[in-house]
Amino acid sequence: MSKILKSLLAGCALAIATGVAQADYPEKAVTVVAPYGAGGASDLAARSLADVARDYLGDQPVVVINKTGNGGMNGARFVSESAPDGYTLLLARVGMALYPAVQESSPVGWDDYTFLGSLEATPMILAVSANSPYQNAQDLIEALKSGASPLAYGASGATSIDGFTVQALLSDNDLDPLRAATLVPYKGGSALATALLGGHVDFLAVAAGSLMPHIEAGKMRALMVYAPSRMDTLPDVPTASELGFEKAGQISGWSALYGPKGLPEEIVAQWTGVLKQVGDDPDWLTLANRRGSISTAGQGDLAAFARSQYELFNGMAKDFGYLK
Amino acid sequence: MINKNVIRAVLITLFFGLVHFVLIPLHVPRPSFIPGFAPPPDMWPRVVSLLGLGIGLFSIATSVLESRQGVSHDLTASLPVRVSKGAVVRLGAVVLVFAGFAILLPLLGFLGSSVLLALATFLLTGGFRYRTLAVLLALFLPVALQLFFANVMYTPFPAGSWGVLPTLR
Amino acid sequence: MWNDIIFAVSSVATFANVLAMSAGILAGVVIGAIPGMTGTMAVTLALPFTFYMQPVTSILLLVALYKGSTYGASISAILIKTPGTASAACTILDGWPLARQGKAGKALNMALVSSCIGDFISNISLIFLAAPLALLALRVGPAEYFMLMAFALCMVASISGNSLLMGIVSACLGLLLATVGEDIYGSYRFAMTEDMKGGLSIAPVLIGLFALPELIRMIVFRDGPQGKAMKLGDNHLTLAEFKGSFKSIVRGSFIGVVLGAIPGIGPSAAAFFSYGEARRSSPNRDNFGKGELEGIAASESANNGCCGSTMIPLLALGVPGDVITGVMLGAFMIQGLTPGPLLFQNNLNEVYMLFVGMIFSSVLLFIAGKLTARYFSRIAAIPQVVLGPVVLMLCIYGIYAISSNTFDVTILLIMGAVGFVMLLLDIPAAPFLIAFILGPMFEDNLRRALAISRGDLAIFFQSPISWLFAVLIVFFLAYTVRWELQKLRQKRAES
Repeated sequence: MSKILKSLLAGCALAIATGVAQADYPEKAVTVVAPYGAGGASDLAARSLADVARDYLGDQPVVVINKTGNGGMNGARFVSESAPDGYTLLLARVGMALYPAVQESSPVGWDDYTFLGSLEATPMILAVSANSPYQNAQDLIEALKSGASPLAYGASGATSIDGFTVQALLSDNDLDPLRAATLVPYKGGSALATALLGGHVDFLAVAAGSLMPHIEAGKMRALMVYAPSRMDTLPDVPTASELGFEKAGQISGWSALYGPKGLPEEIVAQWTGVLKQVGDDPDWLTLANRRGSISTAGQGDLAAFARSQYELFNGMAKDFGYLK
Repeated sequence: MINKNVIRAVLITLFFGLVHFVLIPLHVPRPSFIPGFAPPPDMWPRVVSLLGLGIGLFSIATSVLESRQGVSHDLTASLPVRVSKGAVVRLGAVVLVFAGFAILLPLLGFLGSSVLLALATFLLTGGFRYRTLAVLLALFLPVALQLFFANVMYTPFPAGSWGVLPTLR
Repeated sequence: MWNDIIFAVSSVATFANVLAMSAGILAGVVIGAIPGMTGTMAVTLALPFTFYMQPVTSILLLVALYKGSTYGASISAILIKTPGTASAACTILDGWPLARQGKAGKALNMALVSSCIGDFISNISLIFLAAPLALLALRVGPAEYFMLMAFALCMVASISGNSLLMGIVSACLGLLLATVGEDIYGSYRFAMTEDMKGGLSIAPVLIGLFALPELIRMIVFRDGPQGKAMKLGDNHLTLAEFKGSFKSIVRGSFIGVVLGAIPGIGPSAAAFFSYGEARRSSPNRDNFGKGELEGIAASESANNGCCGSTMIPLLALGVPGDVITGVMLGAFMIQGLTPGPLLFQNNLNEVYMLFVGMIFSSVLLFIAGKLTARYFSRIAAIPQVVLGPVVLMLCIYGIYAISSNTFDVTILLIMGAVGFVMLLLDIPAAPFLIAFILGPMFEDNLRRALAISRGDLAIFFQSPISWLFAVLIVFFLAYTVRWELQKLRQKRAES
């Protein structure tokens, strides 16, 4: 008796579950995993998205959890291994394409996901201290080329995104990317900004979010922007591609929304629609502006973009000798 | 004679020796991208393990000398001098319970394993003297904690591959 | 300036602000006191709620949570030998013995009083010393950090208990374990599994090392006060006891202020510094580690002394010094405020409101502490055999919730076993911890400094700050050697 009852109940539950999943997908809270620490770029982007997207998901809440460690790969692995039901998504950053491209072995490949849509571009800035003799990018490159006194730059590690910004610039100018300037590693954007403010490194090229306050306060000078177009807040600073740097011109920070591989079509379609609406939402645009990023929500072909980013970094990693 | 001081010194020496001669060569690679003048990644672990190794050898020497001279130091002043058979059995039980928890976690899920762990520790500490309280706590504390974290912080708890217990949300 | 401050007082005293601060402090104390739940967790949890609050209210809420949890951590450190956060680890050394002696209430009161004084001094320094301390924070480069950390590691001698040698062994273990995972250049060390690539987090190591060995010991040896509850003897802090520790409180507060203002150092190092210095200079030095109120005073004044001054690099320079101020930076930005020199030009009024609110929160902290201490000290009355498993459950859930990673829970249990072996072998746990926390800063800055100087060791002796610490190190080592020799001579004379 009880056995029959149980199977009946189970059958009903299954029918309801699948039926609802197809009818209107978010029937409970959607979790977005931010793979880096609270208060950072991925966390703030995730929380802003969570805040705005709720209105377009039938009032189902979007919750953010931070799953940090190992260059964001812990969070990425968690999402790529979870059930493809649309309730666990990843706030992906450029690191999700960079890490598999530059490490011998990666726990998650660059394409072990369902690509839902891009969210924002976060420019990176080549900057020096305000009392530095270098007035523009050309001055700095000349000094590096002359090699009179070796310059030191700050980055989060040799194979991190802010290490590649500088190494790509060196490589574009036919300088040895590993030896033309000395890498001084620091952990995180604020530690890097502090090192430049204190004069402990000569230059760096890191995320705009950590540098803009200091540039606005006149403590740092922006020499070049790593972004598809000039920044509204720095209209006089040229981009890397404007200056003719091929590899550096392709580097920029970005955020996107990924899901586990094999997400059902309907859910992908629904998120595509949601992200379009998010991209036009005034709240989202205000929050993006305050974070210092340019909204790209609902624009472009994310899968192709992620592939091009992977190939860019993979090519450089091979050129620079990080990979055999 | 062999006393606790000697055993301790030998253990320290063995540990740091293992780290220095086996683990570091195997698990601390020197990547090519670090410039020559900056210390490589294995410099610091090597320095530390050598220091530990040195202290280990030094304490072997001093403790052997001391035990020859018949000077005894109260090594484990904070612990009972005699170790009973029951203590060894209970220590084994603790290790088994902890290991069992780690093994069960992905199978039975977070909640089920936690309840079992709580029951086992109550059993081992002797907390079962307060039988009702212990059972109630072992059952309801994990449930309450899981409900709290899952609903307030949206912590995703592993449900377990056996799927015996439902995930609380 | 005074007109501005008076205006700020009147505008900060709104119902919303007072409510945010009171709720924040109270919630912070409770969250900090629960083993496995940290201040960072509290602040992260509150972050989404601040998006639509008034800017000043939202920052005050986060600051209140931070302060409350820093004090709250000492409660569990004293009562159940489980530090709520790393900064309270030093409080265990004397707090737990005091609780065992039935003086839990006294210890809690001392922790509260010294926390509040440290907090208050720190807030005042934030207002009047922000500019010079911010300048100092920028002057501290890799070489200076390295010297500072070298001095901090010398403090191992102060917390080694009976045997200096075993203290160093413990520190070596901590230094080794801290190297697991990704190093600053991006290469991996001891990464035997995928999870180990991310390294070991402080919380599971810390709690595993302090809380679990006590549980295992209770199970294995069935000794100690297991069946009986601890006595709740005299709870009041006498004026004489307060006066005896007053010097350590003030000194600890200023150690906290200075170290808090330097990005990246943080309250745990400050607490250890202050404790080491108090032990060196106190007439009761032999009682340290056996239940000395002055030890609690030194450590708690220093870790709360960081709370205000850690805002200095954030507000004056726009650079957060630790995870919590990092979250606050995010909150500022979402509010459309930019911390840094411009904040003082464009939003001076908000800055003053924040200052006034923070001073006010010291008072609230005292009230919240007094209100909760009564209830918390009853925990000491719960039989240890029941409390032990409950603490284990709290730790397991709390540790898992921090990173949603079962690896951290495994580390917690393994460190518990390691801690028990160390207990058996009489190897003190405190040096392990200080080395685990400070070791990475020591090594990273050594490597940074040598990268900048291209291998030239002279970089370590180029600035007055480096020289200051070099002199301090020599002084401290000479003092320690003399003291150790004295102890040896005494032992000889006895036998």
